[in-house]
Amino acid sequence: MEKKDKDKDKGYNRRSFINNGVRLALGVSVVGTAAFTLQRSASGKDYVWQIDPFKCTQCGRCATECVKAESAVKCVHAYALCGYCDLCGGYFKPGAKLQTGAENQLCPTAAIQRKFIEEPYFEYIIDEELCIGCAKCVKGCSAFGNGSLHLQIRHDLCLNCNQCSIATNCPSDAISRVPASEPYIIKGNFTTEEES
Amino acid sequence: MKKRGLTIVILVILTVIIGVIVVDFLNNRPDRRGENPYALEVDQYKVVDPELISHKETRNFDLGLLIASDMSLYDRALYVSGNSSLVVIPLDGRPATMHEILPRATCLEVDQGNIFVGFSTYVAKYSHEGELLQEWPHLGESTVITNLAIKEDKVFVADAGNRRIVIFNREGEQEGEFEGKAESEAGHGFIIPSANFDLAVNSFGELWVVNTGKHALENYSDDGRMRGYWDKASFDIDGFMGCCNPARITVMEDGSFVTSEKGIVRIKIYDQSGELISVVAPPALFKKERSANEEGKAPEVCVDENGVVYALDFDRDVIRVFEPIESE
Amino acid sequence: MLKKIPNLALILILFALLTGSFLQAQQRFPKPEFDTGYVQPDPTTPEPRAMALEYFDVLVLLAVLSLASWLAVKKRSRRGLLWLSVFSLIYFGFYRDGCICSIGAIQNVALSIFDPGYAISITALLFFILPLLFALFFGRTFCAAACPLGAIQDLVVINPVSIPSWIRKTLGFIPVIYLALSVLFAATGSDFIICRYDPFVGIFRMDGPFLMIFLGITFLLLGMFYARPYCRVFCPYGVLLSWMSKFSKWHLSITPSECIKCKLCKDSCPFDAIEVPVEQAYRTPEVSRKNLKRFILYIGLIPVLILLGGWIGSKSHIFLSRVHPDVYLAELMISQPELKEDEENLDIQAFLESGDTFEQLVDQAAVIREKFRKGSLVMGGFIGLALGITLMNQVVFRRREDYEPHKGDCFSCGRCMDYCPIDSQKSKGESQKLNVESLKLKVENQKSVKSKG
Repeated sequence: MEKKDKDKDKGYNRRSFINNGVRLALGVSVVGTAAFTLQRSASGKDYVWQIDPFKCTQCGRCATECVKAESAVKCVHAYALCGYCDLCGGYFKPGAKLQTGAENQLCPTAAIQRKFIEEPYFEYIIDEELCIGCAKCVKGCSAFGNGSLHLQIRHDLCLNCNQCSIATNCPSDAISRVPASEPYIIKGNFTTEEES
Repeated sequence: MKKRGLTIVILVILTVIIGVIVVDFLNNRPDRRGENPYALEVDQYKVVDPELISHKETRNFDLGLLIASDMSLYDRALYVSGNSSLVVIPLDGRPATMHEILPRATCLEVDQGNIFVGFSTYVAKYSHEGELLQEWPHLGESTVITNLAIKEDKVFVADAGNRRIVIFNREGEQEGEFEGKAESEAGHGFIIPSANFDLAVNSFGELWVVNTGKHALENYSDDGRMRGYWDKASFDIDGFMGCCNPARITVMEDGSFVTSEKGIVRIKIYDQSGELISVVAPPALFKKERSANEEGKAPEVCVDENGVVYALDFDRDVIRVFEPIESE
Repeated sequence: MLKKIPNLALILILFALLTGSFLQAQQRFPKPEFDTGYVQPDPTTPEPRAMALEYFDVLVLLAVLSLASWLAVKKRSRRGLLWLSVFSLIYFGFYRDGCICSIGAIQNVALSIFDPGYAISITALLFFILPLLFALFFGRTFCAAACPLGAIQDLVVINPVSIPSWIRKTLGFIPVIYLALSVLFAATGSDFIICRYDPFVGIFRMDGPFLMIFLGITFLLLGMFYARPYCRVFCPYGVLLSWMSKFSKWHLSITPSECIKCKLCKDSCPFDAIEVPVEQAYRTPEVSRKNLKRFILYIGLIPVLILLGGWIGSKSHIFLSRVHPDVYLAELMISQPELKEDEENLDIQAFLESGDTFEQLVDQAAVIREKFRKGSLVMGGFIGLALGITLMNQVVFRRREDYEPHKGDCFSCGRCMDYCPIDSQKSKGESQKLNVESLKLKVENQKSVKSKG
């Protein structure tokens, strides 16, 4: 009986020794991995997803690939770049005469409002409630106009997924993670230089 | 027994889940997505009736690493500005020469006396040997000089930023400016939504300015009074489409216009009154090959006395030569 | 004429090299002049969630883990763990929309180890290591109360069935493969598959693509009968946690003192994570000898399995590398050059417009494929090793006299503690030894009541 207890003790001691050793090894490897990652590339910054409008090719996937049923990507209007044209390539369907009926509008959801400012200038306002981020107007605006309409991820809507589902499907790699301190690239910014 | 049935059901569901994930994963290839349901359809405007096409591309000059900004034709030689250089390419096959100029030239114009080079806010005068003769005063903060035209002793400077034409004499003294405003209904003044603002002086000494916001070509007297205009806003081949077109023009010996459009790029010839004569180069020839966020830029055009059109294709950095098709 | 052109090109090249290029975009353009005093509005830019809140998430995680460990190991309160898991479900799941989570953080860590250009946020790193460290000391308390995915599945457990051990063990091997693949894909910068096939984010967000919602609902339905199916058959983070937990210092114990082998706990565990006592009679010399033989055989098999896994892995690296979009695109353009003319193929058109040459793409793809070659080799070896160790564990019998939680598989949910009759006795402060017999009687009663019910 005594011997058995002793055996048990021995077994227990051995097992707890091994356990402690392995635990130490595991702990060291977890902490080591963390330390390696930390000194290698960790940053105290927070990251968000961003569309580079200069890389965007208006493929339409922002409207369909976002994990949200209503995409967090919306068209943004850089008023500073806009020519306030009467014949707006982002507003009218190609070939449409200057009538503002829905059948002449390029936007599939009629999310662009056109407002007369003064002869001959018109202001174009995006209704984000309606915008689906399809970039059709962006295409029209950059093809025929100044490119003042462009897509941006709206961070009040974006869930900041670990891996942006649009980014994986973006054909032009226009979506990347950037520090949250500069979440937008709004076109027409004085300081932004186009990368050549 | 019941338990066994449940186990099988569980396994089947798990298999289905794994199967769905694997199939979705393997099929989740972007190219199996199909086309863009929101594509902007403009292809129909790229088709041009072959009957209308009057020119044929015969050769081209590769500009290598020169990032060209403008081109001018004078005395059987093409003058091209870009980077910090000015390149002269004689059309008779003599070797090209190159002069160093100030950086960031946006445009140039050449006549028998001098080479005038426009930078974004000022103009500089060079000799034909490439020597900097004069640097003219800066025109102010929001100035964006896009083009120049010379008429005898006057140099017309198109300032797109301030929507005006500034008139200088050859010595760089400002003689006046005008914004194209007039009392008539056509006289709203220049509407220039983007840095596309061209002008040209034809062989009869008439100054023609493009009012891109109105898709119009307007004729002005030397002191800036409008004498006439024509406009053509249309997506069809006989008009100018989108905004800011025609982005560039030049004039032929007989006073007709060679126009160049951005967006859907096309080069066309119009007569003095604005009737389409022919198409030099249809959009199909300007399929994008290089990176360009916007659709194609409008090529700079020059035309010689034989009707040969030289087009500086900014998207490819080549000068493309279009010769008239001999008609039998 | 044409002869001169190389000349010109050469001059230009030299010149361009000397002066550099001054291409600057004319992005800004003076706005039109408005006579009516119209003022241009500025585009709005809604701010993303504040950074401080991310740190707050880490604090919440730390607090939940500490509390869960205390509840599981010290306080022994199933009810506390349950309410804590409901809190985590609401906070990390419904409020934080299921992102960030520790399971997905594996990929961020893997990518940042192999891609120096990738910056991992401290938050993601902490979400990755904190639960592991806690598991190393207190068992998988993360699974019990901090993981929203676990919590939502735990709540739907209605009538769990126990399925045969060999099926369970086989299914339990899937997470290892999933882990290996997800690390491989993350490390090569190809894809974050854990996030893509996270079944419950769609439910947390009450919004999402069809597949996500479909998977979520299927998992929940399945979870009524096969408790925590995602945790047991998919969760790659569970693999890591299980390694840690196996060597945990203070793991939850079913009974606070002496086990009376009433088997109640065994029935209470929906995850089949309770190990029965190994009876002495089982350890006859013949059985021991037979086991020893198999043990030696399996040990010898491990290197073979590693080599085999590595071989299969490296054989499949070309197939696996196609997950990376660049490799896929390069292959597509080589095998079907005519697609370059296809205006409808957005990816190829976008690539052609990007200005990169085809050679650049192919070179890039070759670099990625090389990464995959090494990665698949290691991945295959790892799977082989894991398989070997799993097999070996089948024949290692440790003498066990009591009902004990399987430290690797146990989620520390605490159900068994509730069922253990000793616990309730203890709280009354009665001496246990005296009452063992009466307890056994009581247990019999409970059992008969249960079977009737």
